[in-house]
Amino acid sequence: MTFAPGDTVRARTVDVAGHTRLPGYARGARGVVVEVAGAHPLADDRARGLDVPAQPVYHVRFAARELFGEGDHSVVVELWHDHLEGPA
Amino acid sequence: MSRVNDVGGAIGFPAVVEEPDEPRFHHDWEAHVVALNGALIRRGVYNLDEFRDAQERLPVEQFRSSGYYERWFAAIGTLLVEKGVCAPGELAP
Amino acid sequence: MSADHASSTISAEVRHLEALLEARGLLDPGEIDTRIDEFAAGGTPANGARVVARAWTDDGFRARLLADANAALPEVGLSMAGGLQEQRLKVVANSADEHHVLVCTLCSCYPIALLGPSPSWYKSEAYRSRVVRDPRSVLAEFGVELPADTRISVWDASAESRYLVLPRRPEGTADLTEEALAGLVTRKGLIGTALV
Repeated sequence: MTFAPGDTVRARTVDVAGHTRLPGYARGARGVVVEVAGAHPLADDRARGLDVPAQPVYHVRFAARELFGEGDHSVVVELWHDHLEGPA
Repeated sequence: MSRVNDVGGAIGFPAVVEEPDEPRFHHDWEAHVVALNGALIRRGVYNLDEFRDAQERLPVEQFRSSGYYERWFAAIGTLLVEKGVCAPGELAP
Repeated sequence: MSADHASSTISAEVRHLEALLEARGLLDPGEIDTRIDEFAAGGTPANGARVVARAWTDDGFRARLLADANAALPEVGLSMAGGLQEQRLKVVANSADEHHVLVCTLCSCYPIALLGPSPSWYKSEAYRSRVVRDPRSVLAEFGVELPADTRISVWDASAESRYLVLPRRPEGTADLTEEALAGLVTRKGLIGTALV
C-alpha cells in the first residue's frame, strides 16, 4: 500500500547504525503526507552497495511542536516509504 | 545513535556567519575534488549514497576538524581503497 | 599547520591521485579540466532568477512551475539534467500567509546543476542545526523579519528532490521588464533567507 496526501504517518523509531536519510529529529514523530514525491531505491541500502528496487518517497509535514516541543513553524522532510508507518 | 553529520535541531551552535562575495571555490583543488567525485560516480566506481556514507564514517575528530571539501577528498580516498582501486599507501604523493 | 600550508598539501595529494587514476584508466586525459569548465558554465543563481522573473510575469508558467518544475524549466531554456542524475525540482511559493526556507540538515543537498555551488553558510552546522528548530531567529539574523501570523515552512532536502523558493514579487515593480525583475532576485531569496 502507498500513503496518500493527507494521510497521518509516523516516522520509524529504529536508530540504524549505518547511513540513513531519516534525520534524528524526525524519528518517531507524527506528520502528514503532503504529496508523493517520486520513487527511489532506499538510500540506506544503496549506501551499502545494494541494488534494490525503487519505493515511493513522500513529502511529510511535521509540526515544530511535535519535533522539538516548541515552535509555531513546520518542517517538511522527504522520506522513503520504509521510513514511515501508519499512525497507530 | 545518529551520526556526526545529523545536526538538525542540535543545540549550541552559534549565529550563522555569511562570507561576503564568496567565490564559487576558495581553492582550485576544491573544484578538482568535485570534478573527480563526479567522474568516479559516473564510472560506477561508487554511488552517491556510498560517498555520503564514507564521509559519515570518517573518525569523528577528523570529520569535525576537516573543511567541507577535505571531507569529500577523504571519503573518495576511503572508497578507492575499499573498492580495491588503490592500495592505502598509494594515496599519498 | 596554517591554512595555506594545508591547502598546498591537499592540492598536491589531489594532483597525485588524479595522475594515479589516469594511469589506471579511470580518468581520461583532460577530463577533470573539462568537467570543471562545464560545471563553471552550468549552474548559476542567475538561472533561478530567470525562473522567478518568468513566474512573476506569466501566471500560466507560474502554475506549471509549481505543478511540475522539471517540465516547466525548458520554457525558460533550463533543465535539471546537468548533474549526475536528473533530480526532481520542487518550487515552493512564498505568500502573505506562508514563507518557505530550505536546508539540508544531513549534508548540504542543493540544486547545484541549476544554481551552482551552495554558499558556505548553507553548508554550516550553525545553519543546518538551527533553521529547523528556530527558523524565525535564523531569518532575523539574515535581516528577515516576518509578521507573527506568517507561517514558516522549512524544507529539509533529505532525499532526491531539490528545492527552489519562489519569492514574492516586490511592490512597485509593475513597470519593470522581465530582465530587470530577474536582477532583483538574490541567491538568498531562492533559499528563503531573504525576501527576494
